[in-house]
Amino acid sequence: MGGKLPTQTYQGIARDKVDFDYLRNHLKVKHLEAKNAFSKKYPHVEKFLKEKGLDVGKIREHSAKIIGAGALTGTLLLTPPTGTKSLPPPQEVLEKVREKASAAGLPQKILVDSLAAVLPEKTRPLDRSEEKYLERIFEDILGIKAKANLEGEHLNTSYGLIGAEQHLKRYPGDVIGNHAPYLKEGIAPGLGAWGYFARSRADISPSLEETEKWYAVVQTLYLPDWSSRQPYLRDWYKYRKVLIVNTDNGNAVIAAIADSGPAAWTGKHFGGSPEVMEYLGGPRYKKGPVVLFFVDDPQNKVPLGPVEYNKVNLPQLALVET
Amino acid sequence: MSKLFFDQLLVLDEVEGEIKKIAKTREEKEELWGLVDEMVHHRVLGCVLDKLPRENHEEFLERFHAAPQDESLLDYLKEKIGDNIDELIRQEIGDLAFELLEDIRAEKK
Repeated sequence: MGGKLPTQTYQGIARDKVDFDYLRNHLKVKHLEAKNAFSKKYPHVEKFLKEKGLDVGKIREHSAKIIGAGALTGTLLLTPPTGTKSLPPPQEVLEKVREKASAAGLPQKILVDSLAAVLPEKTRPLDRSEEKYLERIFEDILGIKAKANLEGEHLNTSYGLIGAEQHLKRYPGDVIGNHAPYLKEGIAPGLGAWGYFARSRADISPSLEETEKWYAVVQTLYLPDWSSRQPYLRDWYKYRKVLIVNTDNGNAVIAAIADSGPAAWTGKHFGGSPEVMEYLGGPRYKKGPVVLFFVDDPQNKVPLGPVEYNKVNLPQLALVET
Repeated sequence: MSKLFFDQLLVLDEVEGEIKKIAKTREEKEELWGLVDEMVHHRVLGCVLDKLPRENHEEFLERFHAAPQDESLLDYLKEKIGDNIDELIRQEIGDLAFELLEDIRAEKK
């Protein structure tokens, strides 16, 4: 007689599921311990925060509300952002860009110089005027119409650090061997935020293969309205095309959003597939500053992959390792 | 938009990597990330309040409540504490990362 005894059904539980449940429960316990220790040690702080209606664990949500309200009223941050540069009118910047373009004929250098003129030294959310400058510069030099705010949607930040991600499984049974030539990065054990790209290997189209190849990761989970505007936002962000520009060397790529992350406590704001990272900074590029805007492409004419405006490369800037 | 004044000091890439190995869906991943995030907040604030003189607690909390994203809070803390608060926070987060990784890896054995 086949089958398992009722007392043996635990053997059918997937090992990875046990791992997840174990870790979740363990983190919950650890989290409670941290919370209780904090309350015990700082009762006056707990009282103060309670009066303000604030939970220490939910500070990130509080921050989202404050900054969101500031953005609506036109003051992005309550205090002036650090590293703000006094910018001349956009037309003046563009004239200078055009003059340099005709004199030097090196669009990559012009882009890098233009970015340096606008961007603060350290990554941070940009204000609207800074983003408008960049939109014009990208259209002028790269020939790509890209916007920080598209159809009313805006990411938490458009200037941040990008980190290297692994390949994503495109269909059940997909393995790293199918993702040549970038094999050493590996394939993520879990799925992207929108699951498999196709139901089976036979269903994967060249377009979906390109989507996985040139994918980007953005922090949709921290959007203040992410939960309240479902399923609209989930659909809006799925495979949404973005322009990613390495602000150190001017390399630019068009990618499709295919996963959510990274976690805020990694210090990173975006992620890129092995192909994206290779093009942005070379084989050893793991993390670096980028600008990430939505591509304004209602006709779907802008292809994924490198933006090859820089046929004349700058070897001293092309590969940046951070 | 969501940003905290100490975000730039947080580097828990290894913990993120381990969570990605275990969580199979977006929901699972984000749930675990959220738990770590809350632990980070408690630990960082605890670390700051440990070092900050008691008489400055209320002022700091008022400022933090008004603008939790404001990086000038680090300057305020440096002024009041004197010690290298950046390094203290990094160390606290490093300790948390070590504990979490030890736990995760112990479970795998």
